[in-house]
Amino acid sequence: MAAEAAPAPLSLAAEIARARRRRRAAFLRRLFGHPSFLIGFVILAAFAATALLADRIAPYAPTKIDYRAILAPPSAAHWFGTDGFGRDILSRILHGTRVSLTIGLWVVAMVGVFGTLLGTLASYVRWLDGLIMRGLDGLMAFPGVLLAIALAAALGPSETNAIIALTVTFTPRTARIVRASVLVVQGMQYIEAAHAVGAGHGRIVFRYILANALSPLIVQLTFVFAVSIIAEAILSFLGVGPPPPAPSLGNIIADGRSYIQEAWWIAVFPGIVIAVAVLGLNLMGDGLRDVLDPRQRVERGGH
Amino acid sequence: MIPSLGLRTPLRLVAAVATALLACTLPGAVSGQQRGGTVVVAQAANPPTLDGMATAAEAARNITMHIYETLYAYSETIAPIPQLAEGVAISDDGLSYVFTLRQGVRFHNGKEMTARDVRASIERYRRVGATKSLLAPVESVEVTGDHEVTLRLSARTPMFLEAFASPRAPVVIIPEEDAAAEVGRISMVGTGPYRLVEYVPDSHVRLARFEDYAEDTRYAGSDGFGGRKAPHFDEVVFRIMPDPGAQVAALEAGEVHVLERIGVPSGRRLAGSDAIVVHENMPWAFTVLIFNTAAGPGANRDFREAVQAALNMEEIMAIVGEGLFDLNHRWQYRGSTYDPGEVGRDRYNRSDLARTAELLARAGYAGEEVILVTDTASQQNIRTAVVAEQQLRAAGINVVIRQFDQPTVLELRRRPEGWHLTTGQMGAAPYFGPVDTLATMTGAQPLFLAPDPQIDALFRELANGPTVEARQETFRRAQAYLYESFPIIKIGDWGKMEATRSNVRGYVPFRIPRMYNVWFEQ
Repeated sequence: MAAEAAPAPLSLAAEIARARRRRRAAFLRRLFGHPSFLIGFVILAAFAATALLADRIAPYAPTKIDYRAILAPPSAAHWFGTDGFGRDILSRILHGTRVSLTIGLWVVAMVGVFGTLLGTLASYVRWLDGLIMRGLDGLMAFPGVLLAIALAAALGPSETNAIIALTVTFTPRTARIVRASVLVVQGMQYIEAAHAVGAGHGRIVFRYILANALSPLIVQLTFVFAVSIIAEAILSFLGVGPPPPAPSLGNIIADGRSYIQEAWWIAVFPGIVIAVAVLGLNLMGDGLRDVLDPRQRVERGGH
Repeated sequence: MIPSLGLRTPLRLVAAVATALLACTLPGAVSGQQRGGTVVVAQAANPPTLDGMATAAEAARNITMHIYETLYAYSETIAPIPQLAEGVAISDDGLSYVFTLRQGVRFHNGKEMTARDVRASIERYRRVGATKSLLAPVESVEVTGDHEVTLRLSARTPMFLEAFASPRAPVVIIPEEDAAAEVGRISMVGTGPYRLVEYVPDSHVRLARFEDYAEDTRYAGSDGFGGRKAPHFDEVVFRIMPDPGAQVAALEAGEVHVLERIGVPSGRRLAGSDAIVVHENMPWAFTVLIFNTAAGPGANRDFREAVQAALNMEEIMAIVGEGLFDLNHRWQYRGSTYDPGEVGRDRYNRSDLARTAELLARAGYAGEEVILVTDTASQQNIRTAVVAEQQLRAAGINVVIRQFDQPTVLELRRRPEGWHLTTGQMGAAPYFGPVDTLATMTGAQPLFLAPDPQIDALFRELANGPTVEARQETFRRAQAYLYESFPIIKIGDWGKMEATRSNVRGYVPFRIPRMYNVWFEQ
């Protein structure tokens, strides 16, 4: 008996692990089986790959000036043409995507941390709720991009300041979403049960509440990522993003604005890149939402 | 195009003079100008005020020089010529200037201009004038007749009439009633060919023809800021359009008739169009780099020379001027009266990295961060900064660009810390001659943090030089000093392009877009 009893918990653990793996595989299958997620993922992967490999694949250094090739139209030597400094637009776009991606990822990370922290605190610690949420309401009173522009202009143009400005701008909405889903989860019976068996606050918050409030947060963060790329372009376009000569999608477009008729290639190519990247992120966000939201899944299955 | 510049510039000068002469004979002499219509001029910036004497801003001068006039004005060749004055009698000791005024000149409010208005205007200028130091030698202003004003100077000032006629912040004549008003609080009434109708900031300034304008019949047509001015248009609207692309689109659509500045690539594209005439205005301005000589590496002369030795001016100017430039090392425009010639030529446009390394070693420079401050308002400044940064980095100088809006840059430059090098464009000062050019470098502001005693001494000598030859010699020594001490580095000259609809006739580019002696061909 004793010999038989020993492997039982082991096989149970293995069973649970297997079930988990199966669930994860099924989830991934469902995710990648979702056409818009797949398309979005491919676009984003391509975007990330160009950003990571910019040094290797860019034909020229992004700041290399050539005054003999000012405003050269697209050609074999310069696929996307050159700007008013004779700099290669393709190389500048490739390096510019790196700036966009870096800023986007930082903003997502910071918004994720602060949004979750503030949202959870507000809903879990009741007396903090009013204080935090009214503060965030104050920030939300400003139109999003306007607040980012004001902050970036006040802090001065740099990559770090752009990240700070965008984090401050996008945290309130994220915190609000986290707070709402935590409030829902908090009322569930299994949370009560966890309290009853004497689970600590940390365990309850991380293991039971946040884990179950994650899906809206993930959808929100893909949205934040997409919006950060646009917002970064807006900030750079207005001259409050990373300072020159660093390329960024926004400041390449700003450079091209005065030559829109004589040298359309300066503004058009980075514009296309932004549009495609944002499209990709939105498709991915849609896919994630469909797959993660059990209610929609049921509705779909029902019809 | 670069090697041919040496030839092309004198040709351009000849062409400019020829056009100017032609322009002098055309209006008034030739019938064919037609009255009427509303001409729309686009410019990028709001005028800070339309109180003509209180600002030296180009955006204001473009407009106020249509509303107000001065006793003396600069001619096409930058010599003082009488405008509201009949003439001036200067005493032998050079201390007394007796101005006789033209009679029958009316203000826009209908009142006739008299000596009392002139005295009041000059007194007000000494109080609120944007370049009131120009009138520092004036001891007293007296009304010595209904149409006669006498200025007494405290010391002989050979260049006084030039200073008095300077249009940077012009000594304009306004009615006596406005003389007590603070800056911007006057009734904006002058004697000019157009009167102010309305100013809506960020939108437009509307002027209308002054029907009682007393044309100065001593001249045949425009001559610089003076001459005979015939207001042919019913109205002149200066529309404020910050975006260059929008300006060009508006010109092409025919909603705007005059662009006082158009990007060179746009200008080249439109040059072939039948509906639009493109004008070259060359040279328009100097591009310069200014050191913080009070603190940081720029306090060391050898470091400053290292920067000078490292720079490739051709590359910077090709990009700043978008192809319309002149590699001119002089601190005056080429071929002008005070052209100081070849002094310092051997130190200009070297891109000599070996020499730079040697000078950096001598200066004890060890790779400290050099902050190059530039503003977002001027494309020329941004371009200068970006190209210079690349060149200086390649030469081993650790330059970083910091970009701010213009007020922040101006504020920062007043302090010894936080910046080491900044970009600048000097347009009007060199145009108005050596005194104006050197005047910007004297004292503690606006160019340098601390006065440079050598420059101040040279400026005094220049301003008091008794003859043109003596002043030319002084300015040559000033240029030699600038190429020895390098507090400021001359990069080159660039030109601007202007464009008009082709039905706008009689237009000749100058330091302001003159809308008199210009008409619509119907």
